[in-house]
Amino acid sequence: MRMMSLYKDRNTIVHKIDPLNKILYILASILITMLISDFKVLILTLVVSLLLLLLGKVIKNVFPIISFSLIVLVTIVIIQGLFNPNNKTPLVNIGQFIFYKEGIIYSFLLILRVLNILCAFSLLILTTKPSDLIENLVRRGLSPKLGYVLASVLQIIPQMLSTMDTILDAQRSRGLETEGKLIKRVKAFIPLIGPAVMNSLISTRERAMALEMRGFNSNIKKTFLNEHDETSFDKLIRYLLIALIIFTIVWRLVWLK
Amino acid sequence: MAKIVVEGLKYRYPLAKKLALNDISFEVDEGEFIGIIGANGAGKSTLCQALTGIVPLFFKGAYGGRVVIDGIEVTKSSLSEISLKIGMVLQNPFTQITGSKLTVYEEIAFGLENMGLEREEMKRRIDEALMLLDLYKHKDKNPFDLSGGQMQRLAIASIIAMQPKIIVLDEPTSQLDPQGSSEVFKAVSDLKKKGITIIMVEHKVEKLSEYADRIMLLHDGRLIDFDTPSKIFSRDDLKDYGVVEPVFTRYCKSIGLKNEMGLYPVTLDEAVDLVVKKREHSS
Amino acid sequence: MSKKLWSFKFSTAALVLIPAAVGINYIGKLFAGLLKLPLWLDSIGTMLASMLAGPIIGALSGAINNIIYGLTMDPISFVYAITSIAIGITVGVLMFKGLIKNVYLAILSGIIVALVAAVVSTPINIAFWGGQTGNIWGDALFASLMAKKFPMWLASFLDEFVVDLPDKVASLVISFLIYKGLPKSLINLYSSDDEIEKL
Ligand SMILES: Nc1ncnc2c1ncn2[C@@H]1O[C@H](COP(=O)(O)OP(=O)(O)O)[C@@H](O)[C@H]1O
Ligand SMILES: [Mg+2]
Repeated sequence: MRMMSLYKDRNTIVHKIDPLNKILYILASILITMLISDFKVLILTLVVSLLLLLLGKVIKNVFPIISFSLIVLVTIVIIQGLFNPNNKTPLVNIGQFIFYKEGIIYSFLLILRVLNILCAFSLLILTTKPSDLIENLVRRGLSPKLGYVLASVLQIIPQMLSTMDTILDAQRSRGLETEGKLIKRVKAFIPLIGPAVMNSLISTRERAMALEMRGFNSNIKKTFLNEHDETSFDKLIRYLLIALIIFTIVWRLVWLK
Repeated sequence: MAKIVVEGLKYRYPLAKKLALNDISFEVDEGEFIGIIGANGAGKSTLCQALTGIVPLFFKGAYGGRVVIDGIEVTKSSLSEISLKIGMVLQNPFTQITGSKLTVYEEIAFGLENMGLEREEMKRRIDEALMLLDLYKHKDKNPFDLSGGQMQRLAIASIIAMQPKIIVLDEPTSQLDPQGSSEVFKAVSDLKKKGITIIMVEHKVEKLSEYADRIMLLHDGRLIDFDTPSKIFSRDDLKDYGVVEPVFTRYCKSIGLKNEMGLYPVTLDEAVDLVVKKREHSS
Repeated sequence: MSKKLWSFKFSTAALVLIPAAVGINYIGKLFAGLLKLPLWLDSIGTMLASMLAGPIIGALSGAINNIIYGLTMDPISFVYAITSIAIGITVGVLMFKGLIKNVYLAILSGIIVALVAAVVSTPINIAFWGGQTGNIWGDALFASLMAKKFPMWLASFLDEFVVDLPDKVASLVISFLIYKGLPKSLINLYSSDDEIEKL
């Protein structure tokens, strides 16, 4: 593993959309799902996200992302169905347990919200190279130093992981036991993590020096090796998304009255 | 005008008790190749860091004296400004890779982006550096996929592209295999041919004698001697400073073979010449 | 002290500490998994960053940890960036106020960190998961409290707290022990406000 990323390299129009627009899309989806608790709206936004993922040829890659939350999503139905404070109308009996309509409906609402957010994020994550995303944000005013930190994490973690095996072997050969009783295993933790911390802090010192020698703290306005032109199509999408976000907020405010 | 002027330089690391550099003065001219030798803890790395402003701008601590690089006194400048005059290459090839770039080409661009160069100028410089360090065929690889020697050459290329007049290399070959080592030595001698001033800490004294114009001997934070390789390695007290002479020199010392100036040879060629001459003489 | 503590002017060393902290978090989690420990131990890097470079760098390490996690594994992690930020700030403040001096105080501080983490996470858990945390033991407690008609916010808070308490106490004690073992020259590197003394 050279670089941590879920990016799937495909040649589709979705991949070419400006990363900022994908971020705005996430923002819009979250606002819509959080502010408007209407099943029709939630399902509509989910369908839109799924269509975009389909267009980006990454729909299959969404499932591993959802699977992280799968168990909670299932238990939500059970816990809310059984114990939601608003439960009144019994729906089904399974053995001695009674599932109520209110709780089940609420759990579906929660599940739709989570799926919406996961799919909107997936659109960004699966179709945008992390490095492109970060560079794009730096061009738009994110501090270049923070940009550096974000970009370097993605490659430095795999580098650090490759030292894990070395540490494990070294400590085992010195007689460290990594199996057995809990207390033994707890005691093994520090001899393992300690050297990893030392290594990475010493590298930190050297890398900081190396960066200083590469003008990292320069006050001159940074330029970019890669060119970047925003197409009018990207601009159009951006305005549409901003309009959608404003519309959602206004709609919610009007409805609240 | 001398490129580097060091006067009465003293330095102590934060929280440390003893001076890491103690009253060091010397000058280096444009285009010279200077070697630095000395035992572990002699202060070689600290001196390199003092030349590039890392000491005392990065490691604070206690500082006295002056380091003037190409007319700029380091304590009155900033690291980003100094880095345009003098670059530094460190021991560990890994930690010099920024980690934020995905290709060798972009990695070299990192410093140039920070300098705010125009795109065309950047590309011109990157191509030049890639050629000079013989990395052109690797330009689209991920930096972390390179061998140690290639990575170290990438570190040098990244510095060279910023076009400093001086490059400091602190044990750049100590973590490399022989192949990687000779790649780096070749690269450094190419830089010297381009007129770049070179300061290099190196334990491989045979190589150093071959390339260096002068060698600095450090011990316990003090500058013991600063002279030509043959003068330095002809000293008979090297042991006291924890350094060894090149094998050829050691051989000639053991049989008392000196040249007409009363110095021992420091390279293989010199040693062979001298032995041949001696043979002819005696026969 | 307080001015230094909240400075947004970072030294390069402190900035480069952030990727290392995120990496340490990750390695902690992997080693904990490898040793089959019943803890996550995935905030040791954040805590060390706070101890070494103060609450702001600690908070940034926490935030970036979750952003990177969100980008590369589980997007839900983005939302919990707020919890990581709170952990970073709390440890940084406790450390720089001199409150983490020995193992006992580290345990006490771990309890405070767990409380803060639970307070910050609870609204998120309620908004996203109807109050659950996704941890089996915590959620079992949550279900039984809900069955006993406890208010949801309280049940949810306790769900998070029982899960966080052992983890954060252990993490903070481990971080403190590692910190104590670091050479002084490394510890000193991250405090950017040293003056250069004249010789
Ligand atoms: N970051 C540091 N903090 C404190 N002391 C240091 C640091 N780096 C080096 N030293 C000390 O400074 C002295 C010179 O070290 P150094 O310049 O690294 O020697 P060399 O490179 O010749 O081996 C040594 O006594 C060493 O212990
Ligand atoms: Mg050294």
